[in-house]
Amino acid sequence: MTDTQWPRFYVFKQDSPDFPHLNCGSVHASDGEMALLNARDVFVRRPDCVSLWVAPASRVAEVTVEGLAALESPATSGQEQDYEVFTKSASKGQHARVGKVVANSPADALRKASEAFNSDSWVWMVVPSAVIVASPEDEGPAWFEAAHDRPFRHQSFYRTERLIREIKAGQHDPPGDD
Amino acid sequence: MVGEQGDQDRLAAFEDRIARGEKIEPGDWMPEAYRQQLVRMISQHAHSEVVGMLPEGGWITRAPNLRRKLVLLAKVQDEAGHGQYLYHAAETLGVDRQELLEALLTEKAKYSNIFNYPTLSWADIGIIGYFVDGAAILNQTMLARCSFGPYSRANIRICAEESFHMKQGKEMVIRMARGTPEQGQMVQDAINRWWWPTLMMFGPHDSNSPNSPQLIRWGIKTRTNDDLRQTFIDNLIPELHALGLTVPDPDLSFDEDTGHWTIGEIDWDEFYRVIHGDGPCNKERLDARRKAHEDGRWVREALAAYAERVETVEVS
Repeated sequence: MTDTQWPRFYVFKQDSPDFPHLNCGSVHASDGEMALLNARDVFVRRPDCVSLWVAPASRVAEVTVEGLAALESPATSGQEQDYEVFTKSASKGQHARVGKVVANSPADALRKASEAFNSDSWVWMVVPSAVIVASPEDEGPAWFEAAHDRPFRHQSFYRTERLIREIKAGQHDPPGDD
Repeated sequence: MVGEQGDQDRLAAFEDRIARGEKIEPGDWMPEAYRQQLVRMISQHAHSEVVGMLPEGGWITRAPNLRRKLVLLAKVQDEAGHGQYLYHAAETLGVDRQELLEALLTEKAKYSNIFNYPTLSWADIGIIGYFVDGAAILNQTMLARCSFGPYSRANIRICAEESFHMKQGKEMVIRMARGTPEQGQMVQDAINRWWWPTLMMFGPHDSNSPNSPQLIRWGIKTRTNDDLRQTFIDNLIPELHALGLTVPDPDLSFDEDTGHWTIGEIDWDEFYRVIHGDGPCNKERLDARRKAHEDGRWVREALAAYAERVETVEVS
């Protein structure tokens, strides 16, 4: 067996129930289940996540405004399936989930996505709903619990600016370390 | 020729987009030199995060109390994560992770020179957070505005987490500077050793940095090496002085006219010597990475074998 990298999986993270899933990057893993665990380690070290999705990079299709015209014409026949659609604007933000389309190929899905979700979009990304592996919904918060109770991971935990100000003003006695 | 004219038009459109503040995304046309510069910079940045775990990792078991140990563990874990964000950004440019890791292990790719210096005392951990992460944040805040979408997004994510790294170090330095005389001496000794290597992190002087103008024109960088270095020095010196600490530079002076601190000359011979492999820890760092890579081989093989078997079972 050769020592090679595992396949790549795109990671989509939902920060709160009111926000859509956002594409935050990718991980390498031997399978979807491992990809989900790796994604949690890499992208959820802080408790701002309610749901994680991973999908094999080989099944994720993406096009920008520049590439739209060159998209291959969609097949006239083929198995129709649901695709999750993510879009991103030209100047800022991440790819955010905006909805679904039903299509018979990735190119067909991209074309339909670009027609259905075209306000302020520069990039369209489509993923067949069936290939997404999601963090367990019923376990909800428990699945992300490891990231809780770690206030020291946040910069607000350290009062360094106030300390320096007080020291400069000559009014500070250092508190004990815990 | 039509092709050349086409490239000229595309280059003009590309530069217009950057001037308008738009992000270039994978799949968009980009000049080959833009792509190459980004692969070089992003992979070097990723390797720096990964190698950067080593100088601090050795102190996890020797942290003076549980709080400091938890903090250091979390920080080193973040750095592993930052390496992953950045490898992803490089992969969107069509290189693969295996290739990048091999370039690191075979010394074809570089990582930040700062990690070729040793961490000799616990005070070094404070100074690394305060100085090294402080310098890195300035650079990464600039890169969060980079014209290439995936690299910009990776840096936004990194900066949000990296502020904690800097502040935990700064807090440690404040505590030690105002602690016992021995603690004060320890932290001063750490500053004496880390000051100049930290200033070198920003790279050669602008006059000696041939890539900078193009990198700035294409929005990969938005500030020059000297500009970033000056901001770092101006922020840091008054704080150090307030803490009763000094930097090892007899030529340091405050220029009333410009409002900036002026430093003595950086030892660029040392900079190039360490970059070319002759630093105190170059060999130790790469040996540690190679060993980690080899030690992890059986895990990679076991998981690959498992995935293959699951696939076979599902197919049959």
